[in-house]
Amino acid sequence: MAMKIGVEEFKERVGKGINDSFMRGAVAGAQDSMGTRRLSAAEELGNWEDWRSHGEEIRKHVLENLDYYLEQLSDNVAKRGGHVFFASTAEEANDYIRGVVASKNAKKVVKAKSMVTEEIHLNSCLELAGCEVIETDLGEYILQIDDHDPPSHIVVPALHKNKEQIRDVFTDKLGYQKTSKPEELAGHARETLRQDFLTADIGITGCNFAVAETGSFSLVTNEGNADLVTSLPKTQITVMGMERLVPTFEEMEVLVSLLTRSAVGQKLTSYITVLTGPREELDVDGPEEFHLVIVDNGRSKILGTEFQSVLQCIRCAACINVCPVYRHVGGHSYGSIYSGPIGAVLSPLLGGYEDYKELPYASTLCGACTEVCPVKIPLHELLHKHRQEIVEKEGKAPISEKLAMKAFGLGAASPALYKIGSKLAPAAMNPFTNGDKISNGPGPLKAWTEIREFPAPNKERFRDWFNNREKGGNQS
Amino acid sequence: MTGTIQNRESFLNTIASSLGRDRHPGKIERPVWEFQPQKEVLKGATPDQLVEVLKTQCLRIHTSVVVTDQTGLAETLAETVANYGGGPVVTWKDNRFSEWGLDPLFHNEWPEQDIEYYEWDHTKGRENIRQAEKANIGITISEITLAESGTVVLFSDQDKGRTVSFLPKSLIALVPKSSLVPRMTQAAQKMRQMHLEGKQVASCVNFITGPSNSADIELNLVVGVHGPVKATYIIIDDL
Amino acid sequence: MKVSLFATCLVDMFQSDVGKATVELLERLGCEIDFPESQVCCGQPAYNSGYVKESKEAMKKMIDAFASAEYVVSPSGSCAYMFHEYPHIFKGDPVWETKAKRLAEKTYELTQFIVEVLKVEDVGARFEGRATYHTSCHMTRLLGVNKAPMTLLSNVKGLEFTQLPGKEQCCGFGGTFSVKMAQISEQMVDEKVQHVEETQADYLIGADAGCLMNIGGRIDRKGKPIRVLHIAEVLNSR
Repeated sequence: MAMKIGVEEFKERVGKGINDSFMRGAVAGAQDSMGTRRLSAAEELGNWEDWRSHGEEIRKHVLENLDYYLEQLSDNVAKRGGHVFFASTAEEANDYIRGVVASKNAKKVVKAKSMVTEEIHLNSCLELAGCEVIETDLGEYILQIDDHDPPSHIVVPALHKNKEQIRDVFTDKLGYQKTSKPEELAGHARETLRQDFLTADIGITGCNFAVAETGSFSLVTNEGNADLVTSLPKTQITVMGMERLVPTFEEMEVLVSLLTRSAVGQKLTSYITVLTGPREELDVDGPEEFHLVIVDNGRSKILGTEFQSVLQCIRCAACINVCPVYRHVGGHSYGSIYSGPIGAVLSPLLGGYEDYKELPYASTLCGACTEVCPVKIPLHELLHKHRQEIVEKEGKAPISEKLAMKAFGLGAASPALYKIGSKLAPAAMNPFTNGDKISNGPGPLKAWTEIREFPAPNKERFRDWFNNREKGGNQS
Repeated sequence: MTGTIQNRESFLNTIASSLGRDRHPGKIERPVWEFQPQKEVLKGATPDQLVEVLKTQCLRIHTSVVVTDQTGLAETLAETVANYGGGPVVTWKDNRFSEWGLDPLFHNEWPEQDIEYYEWDHTKGRENIRQAEKANIGITISEITLAESGTVVLFSDQDKGRTVSFLPKSLIALVPKSSLVPRMTQAAQKMRQMHLEGKQVASCVNFITGPSNSADIELNLVVGVHGPVKATYIIIDDL
Repeated sequence: MKVSLFATCLVDMFQSDVGKATVELLERLGCEIDFPESQVCCGQPAYNSGYVKESKEAMKKMIDAFASAEYVVSPSGSCAYMFHEYPHIFKGDPVWETKAKRLAEKTYELTQFIVEVLKVEDVGARFEGRATYHTSCHMTRLLGVNKAPMTLLSNVKGLEFTQLPGKEQCCGFGGTFSVKMAQISEQMVDEKVQHVEETQADYLIGADAGCLMNIGGRIDRKGKPIRVLHIAEVLNSR
């Protein structure tokens, strides 16, 4: 599946993440600061729960009527002179875009950050066709010049890199000679990219929210790169996941507000650009030609299932910013461009259990993700649903676990067996017991006791104490 | 000019079948939403209160705010431009500049002070972009101003180039006090109303909230990445 | 008031002191305690691992065990929450959904029961020492019990309380997660232990048997001089 990154197994990826101390410091710092910002942006509204409920009702309504709204959207885009292509697969989307690039004889493409184009691996496809593709979001740009290092966060893609690493990349690849100060690094990127904006043939963007009623698109950035991508090149191609739309400007506004507050704790980001069709006849800037590519790539298989609500996602990364697992393993551990809780739910759906069977288990089901989701996706419940699918339908659970759970079903469910089992536990555990604890447990306890002590079973169970006491026995 | 649509039918049929039904035959009415918290924000605030909210918010978004009236505008603008280091200055072509008495400043004072001034002229094609690219300051007018977020809203057209607000190093937005609304909600309603009344929505509507910035390097805020490095809003009391 | 104690398997087998403290505390507050003998495990370990079918058998036994109870009280937030999940799990089941609903409606976590049902905010406890408190995820986020433990602890005489940094972060227990994803769990519990140390508390108090076994087991392994206590033990101190 195209969104896959790396070839290592899950455990290796996690091990690498855990040992990357810079990345972990950066992620923890980012979670702490973004978490605080998100919280205060939410709390200052005073009725955040109503906002979330409104976001949810909008997204649910659109998903239930997705065919209608996509039809309306495409009609209105065409009315304003745009060209719409519906792509069922990543290949279809890439082929179409390559076709547009070829018809314009384009040599240089500038891009604004877009997860869906990462998902379909558009860049490598265009590069193979001999086109220079330049990412213009600062974070994406850094990753791109560092030999296409994959993003580790939906909103802050280069979060795993420190400024010294970034300076080294700039020095190596761009002949940069200044310091590692973020201002100087960004200044250098500004100068280099300004020339690219001015000379590019085509601009490619993603889409935060499309508006069905008018055939419009909103792009949300802080840097202003999306504005240059859509103002200067003669041709614009916008690629959107098929679910990323709303009925009217009024709903767009609500979701943009939820997005900026949840993603970065801002009331609005510096640039929110609403585009409708190509430029007017006498306009000087803006594209002469506009193409919209609407991508399915596995999404329609999620519709109508128990997982449908995952398509409510507005890619704010609030769930990533509070996830205690992401905090310690980082984005690359997920093996997908979609990381964190949303990635753990979405990646197996789009990419299959074969590649992503561990992700649903990489969660304590602590519910932090569900609590912050601005459109109320029950993320931890969906992770649990995945586990159920893996066990019951896919049959991918390990045999030993299946046996253990079968035994659980029998043992825990039978009061008689449970009582005997718990009564015998101290004797069974005796060989491993050291005082009141077990430091080197057998079987499934081994993984526990490699890290922590396990309590030895009480000689007198609570129930025995209680029963004795009822009979007038001990009074502790 | 009408565009094209490809592959639509099978694509939408797949969606309908996943949803377990046939394609929608008619129009879907947008439901009456159960929750509408956005309408409560700054409800009933007076223009003066909105100005105060805007000023406070601008402290958070690295944006200067100056309040003046029509008589003081030319002087205020001249001062702001001087503070940003002078020209070249690029502006939209917009009658309101004249109505607000800015002609002497644009056409006499600045040329006398060697401050280069360029007015957007669509008949000159790409030359406009060259001018905007080399400009130190771009001057635009906010059509709708969002108090809550400190946002100016710009509608593009042939005389109002998009790049005037992106390419120059600094942005000055003239904000008529009458353009202030509580938040993005009212701007969205207005845009929708225009559409429903049969007016074409501008091909580009920009919601600009302060200067360009990025936190992509170690989450350090860098102000001024691709767009302007500095921004000032000049509020004109027109009420 | 008659209370049926849902002790939880961890307390029954490994932490009987917590069970004893719970009984004594509730009795002191005027409750009459009963321990339904046929109670087993609430099914959460299997359920959360995706073995829904297997776990339902245990759940049915639990629903039956507590069928005649007036109130069900558990000294573990996560396990009490599990009872609240039952109606959702048995949704559409003609027999068990109604029974599950009835059970959920009368089930409380210990501190929640004391504050919300008994309407007691000061249990008259005295406990000398510097302590911090771990807010368990299931208890706070899923069961929605945030204030009750803090209210009760704030009225314990002699207790010097310090807030735990990063208190909303999971300790890394997560049931089978702790062994299935041991390498990640270790990092999570280590950060939790580090936060506990930062408070310089002598005691870590919690209201969830699983979290306490996890954090306590790690503290013990690292030889840190911090004692882990269940909130029932603190509230039962005189």
